[in-house]
Amino acid sequence: MRLALTFLRINVMNELQYRANFFLQVLESVVALATGLIVLSLIFAQTDALDGWTRPQLLAVLGVFTMVGGVIKFAIEPNMARIMSDIREGTFDYVLTKPVDSQLFVSVRQFRLWQLTDVIVGAAVVVWAVVTSDGSEQGSVTGGGVALGFFVSLFAGSLMIYCVWLILTTGAFWFVRMEMLEELFTGLYRAGQYPVGIYPGWLRAALTFLIPIGFAVTVPSEALTGRLTWSRLALAVGFVVLLMAVTRTVWSWGVRNYSGASA
Amino acid sequence: MVITVEQLNKTFEVPERDPGLKAAFSSLFNRKTRSVEAVADVNFSVAKGEIVGFLGPNGAGKTTTLKMLSGLLHPTSGRVEVLGHVPNKREREYLSRMTLVMGNRNQLQWDLPALDSFELTRAIYRLQEGAFLEQRDELIELLDLADLVNKPVRQLSLGERMKAEIANSLLHRPAVLFLDEPTLGLDVTMQRRIRGFLADYNARHGASIMLTSHYMADIEALCHRVIVIHEGQLLFDGALSALSQRFAAQKTIVVTLAEPADLGAYGEVVDESPTTVTLRVSRDDTAAVTGRLLAEQPVSDLTVVDPPIDDVIESVFEAGA
Repeated sequence: MRLALTFLRINVMNELQYRANFFLQVLESVVALATGLIVLSLIFAQTDALDGWTRPQLLAVLGVFTMVGGVIKFAIEPNMARIMSDIREGTFDYVLTKPVDSQLFVSVRQFRLWQLTDVIVGAAVVVWAVVTSDGSEQGSVTGGGVALGFFVSLFAGSLMIYCVWLILTTGAFWFVRMEMLEELFTGLYRAGQYPVGIYPGWLRAALTFLIPIGFAVTVPSEALTGRLTWSRLALAVGFVVLLMAVTRTVWSWGVRNYSGASA
Repeated sequence: MVITVEQLNKTFEVPERDPGLKAAFSSLFNRKTRSVEAVADVNFSVAKGEIVGFLGPNGAGKTTTLKMLSGLLHPTSGRVEVLGHVPNKREREYLSRMTLVMGNRNQLQWDLPALDSFELTRAIYRLQEGAFLEQRDELIELLDLADLVNKPVRQLSLGERMKAEIANSLLHRPAVLFLDEPTLGLDVTMQRRIRGFLADYNARHGASIMLTSHYMADIEALCHRVIVIHEGQLLFDGALSALSQRFAAQKTIVVTLAEPADLGAYGEVVDESPTTVTLRVSRDDTAAVTGRLLAEQPVSDLTVVDPPIDDVIESVFEAGA
């Protein structure tokens, strides 16, 4: 924990040197949000509901989507990119000579502070959506449970994305060059802008379990719009625990392979 | 013994393919591999406080050995023990007592002053504030870093950066140092500074150091003992002076003459100015040739020297090949 905070401090100091980045990032967040809003208004010019989701509810999805996207760009993607560049350039050796857990170490090294603007902008949209919501409550998570369900599923969803991304990044131990991974993820993540329920079954399953965008974006949105059931929340938490264990195993396997235990 | 290596072997499986587009395509599906013995049956040990030079041409297995000693690579077979630990288990107690410095790879934060990277190192090794500050200030003083640690690392010269890298690698006061080409690419003055520092650090803390370098001056200045490996095999382990005795088949005699003379009959003339002649003669004949020169020629001065250590090393590798 202290290590993560020190790294965070270092990165904050790093970023504060480049003030221009901050303004560019704010601009980017606003443009991305505006695009999302325009698309939503186009959709609702045609129809009143998309697969049972009303306009304020889809706004909530957009807000969560922006928030999780911010978390990804703030903490997940920079660390994963760093792992790959370290493996390519051989500086990964230094990771393994440190008396700290290697998985923890590689996961907290790089942060892009200004990407937090996306988290803030997304949170603002979420608040707006909740305030204007017409509250069609179908789920079992209600009242105080909504906030709990929202934060738990948001955290679990972000962890799932981290896990899947790290598992794929571990492939760099074998293949070395895997820059397309980032593109792949960014592209797929865009699908999370809408509730996964609107996609056909096979794609929905893939988006939920393979690339857990379904969990990361849709489940917290369900919490906000009163659709979440306790069993679904439990499923999300159970899934993330399982995924963490798998990630751990794959990571140790990758590190062992890197140090040539198999050769 | 701080380091014990017994019957150490490391074999790599490397992909192999013929040049050309067609071969590149077929290797996508059908990868051929070949085993390469990077290290073969190597034995040595290093005592506390010893500085050992690790010599060999590129690809001899030096870095592979250092990586096995620092726990990065698992040996294919054989035993490695450092400070009572098996390195490749990467136990926390072991990793906190050793350091690995690679001359061409950075770990300092590029955009920040080195002092900030030092703080990070402190968090990684969980150093107590008192011990950390004491060690940090000592390193800053010994390496003459006071004016540099507040500048962003990107503004430092290569040599300055290397000094800061070394300081960063020693903040946890390791008992064993593995240095892979720590002076690579540095100018002569900076190489000398770093050598002086390493000798100093070794004297102060009794740390054991294993060092590879392409610069023989580093080795001559720091290491009483050298280990030579070539194609993964240990060729020599002993005093640096014994290396030339064992491998230099020839000696050099420099003769200053009162008047010019042709000395071609005494040995191979390597260099000649009107009154100073440099001869190369075989080691066994040195005494006899010297005696004859003194008796038969108008010699005003005569010295017998071992050939430069670089030449010796080169002949070792030729002999080993």
